Amino acid sequence: MMTEEILRVENLRTTFTTSAGEVKAVEGVSFTVNRGEVLGIAGESGSGKSATMLSIMGLLGDAGRISYDSLSFMGENLTPESVKSIRGDKIAMIFQDPMTSLNPVLSVGYQLEEALRRHKWQGNIHGRVAEMMTRVGIVPADERMRQYPHEFSGGQRQRLMIAMSILCSPELLIADEPTTALDVTVQAQILGLLREIRKDTGMSMILITHDLGVIAGESDRVIVMYGGRIMEEGTSREIFGSPSHPYTRGLLHSLPKADGKRERLIPIEGQPPDLLNPPEGCPFVKRCNEAMRICLRRKPEALTLSETHKYSCWKGAEESC
Amino acid sequence: MLTVEGLTKYFHTQSGTVHSVDGVSLTVSRGETLGLVGESGCGKTTTGRTIIRLYEPDKGCIIFDGHDITHMNQRELLPFRKRIQMIFQDPYASLNPRMTAGDIIREPMIVHHVPKDEHTDRVNHLLKLVGLNTEQAGRYPHEFSGGQRQRIGIARALAAEPEMIICDEPISALDVSIQAQIVNMLEDLQKSLGLTYLFIAHDLSMVRHISTRVAVMYLGSIVEIAGSDELYTNPLHPYTVSLLSSVPIPDPEKSSQRKIIPLKGEIPSAINPPSGCKFHTRCPNAKPECKTITQILQDKGNNHLCACPFV
Ligand SMILES: Nc1ncnc2c1ncn2[C@@H]1O[C@H](COP(=O)(O)OP(=O)(O)OP(=O)(O)O)[C@@H](O)[C@H]1O
Ligand SMILES: Nc1ncnc2c1ncn2[C@@H]1O[C@H](COP(=O)(O)OP(=O)(O)OP(=O)(O)O)[C@@H](O)[C@H]1O
Ligand code: SF4
Ligand SMILES: [Mg+2]
Ligand SMILES: [Mg+2]
Repeated sequence: MMTEEILRVENLRTTFTTSAGEVKAVEGVSFTVNRGEVLGIAGESGSGKSATMLSIMGLLGDAGRISYDSLSFMGENLTPESVKSIRGDKIAMIFQDPMTSLNPVLSVGYQLEEALRRHKWQGNIHGRVAEMMTRVGIVPADERMRQYPHEFSGGQRQRLMIAMSILCSPELLIADEPTTALDVTVQAQILGLLREIRKDTGMSMILITHDLGVIAGESDRVIVMYGGRIMEEGTSREIFGSPSHPYTRGLLHSLPKADGKRERLIPIEGQPPDLLNPPEGCPFVKRCNEAMRICLRRKPEALTLSETHKYSCWKGAEESC
Repeated sequence: MLTVEGLTKYFHTQSGTVHSVDGVSLTVSRGETLGLVGESGCGKTTTGRTIIRLYEPDKGCIIFDGHDITHMNQRELLPFRKRIQMIFQDPYASLNPRMTAGDIIREPMIVHHVPKDEHTDRVNHLLKLVGLNTEQAGRYPHEFSGGQRQRIGIARALAAEPEMIICDEPISALDVSIQAQIVNMLEDLQKSLGLTYLFIAHDLSMVRHISTRVAVMYLGSIVEIAGSDELYTNPLHPYTVSLLSSVPIPDPEKSSQRKIIPLKGEIPSAINPPSGCKFHTRCPNAKPECKTITQILQDKGNNHLCACPFV
């Protein structure tokens, strides 16, 4: 299969100005997404996963500033202006908390139809909304369109968000913790639904989640973030089969054994870095059990293990020279 | 250590009576960990809170170490309050924001009349025990990370020197890398202090890791209880089978090989729960009789209790 790149991000930086100082939420993140693939993004809370996506989508608000070397979608440069016209249309996003993304005082049908009108949908708006609601299993669609968000369960609201996001047949869906608030059985339904939609439409997806099980089950490629940077990147098999960054390895060791063997867990000791005062060198240095003196002072460069597998760590750099 | 028999707790709300806990029976032996799992809203927290009598039970009884505490008044209950503690679900909401970490940990000592001159030493000891340092005693909850706040909650529970702790989702709000720290600590404390745990959680793989036995709850009732490995390798109840098949596996190869058994429909409302076996509306094996049977746990051998008569 030919890989066709649809999103390219190079050297993205995002800074928030807060009363306590500058927060460097994203520090030089680069990645690509290919057509039809699922890129999973894992990482500690506060590692910059959401900030990266909001930066790309131009949704940061006033507090954030971004810079980058290049940002393009389907071969066109993305500017704050151009992204507005494709947002919700060619690139759609689902947020972690569906309650904050649906207006409680408007019927869900109205809200979905409004989304289509905003994107100047040519065709039967009501019919399209009904079709997509049926697609995500909210039936009978005609009746349920008249209901308000509080009349739906958490899982149903998340399915409504999915219906809304795929209304305009996007090329890329960015799903930020789409199932974190849900039970595993409902999570399995939602992930299954997203998988079917991808199969039908060839849509690409960026899936952000802290659940490594979900990442393993859904992703073709995986990015592992820590302290605003990409620590490791590879195919799902590379990341889970031969994790190379000490943080990735630490994360996988923290999990209970899948075969139920009751071996003591091996946690990553310490706390995530304070982004107001980030370490000068590797962001992981304070918690890394393989850290060397150079890790404190200088940021490691990315090391290449295969065409798809890269990681940023001094350990490997020392060994290879 | 703890025996709960037919425990029932209903809440009367404007929209109707919520059958939050509906005839729950379970036992926890001294020194063991009983895991309690099930979907959001199935009644896990309410079960825990009713056991420690934060809620008044409507029916059933609670026997702790041979004493029936179901109807004890507050004064009679006080010694038992000391012996069973609870770690609450939300590390952000369960700590008083205006009290320092030290004061939060000291509070149970005041309630349980620990001599005053011992307080500071014991606070310092507990802080170290849960992996915080003694200089942090003067800090307020918002100055701690989520994992650290959870440690303060654990230190507070330990301050009364309990024999049993009901841990309500002690790790759910935490990062993976921090979860393992807390789980190891709970295991170490169990060994060194001989604690008994009722461990409520969403994360089924972590529950398997930490529990001796596991109980599965659906809509206010326990549908299956078995030894941890037995339950995970040989689940009997159709609900447990489906639940376990949905747990994500952090291994792409294994993940692509296994088959998820999806549940149809939505979880029914606890205000009007289905008759008979409450799972019949979603059960892939449901038969007409399921609407009328009485749900009782039956021993299927190997101390494996299951409420479905057809397995
Ligand atoms: N609007 C904002 N103003 C100031 N700081 C912010 C803002 N949004 C995010 N941050 C900070 O930027 C950093 C990265 O946040 P981000 O939301 O991207 O994390 P995340 O990886 O998505 O975490 P989580 O898993 O908790 O969602 C954090 O330190 C956060 O506190
Ligand atoms: N104080 C209350 N008043 C009325 N209803 C309540 C109250 N507490 C709980 N409930 C209801 O009882 C049921 C069980 O709730 P409970 O909090 O015990 O569930 P849970 O299993 O702990 O869920 P979660 O996994 O989301 O924590 C739910 O339907 C809930 O809405
Ligand atoms: S009785 Fe029916 S519904 Fe209930 S558990 Fe058995 S098969 Fe399932
Ligand atoms: Mg986020
Ligand atoms: Mg609860």
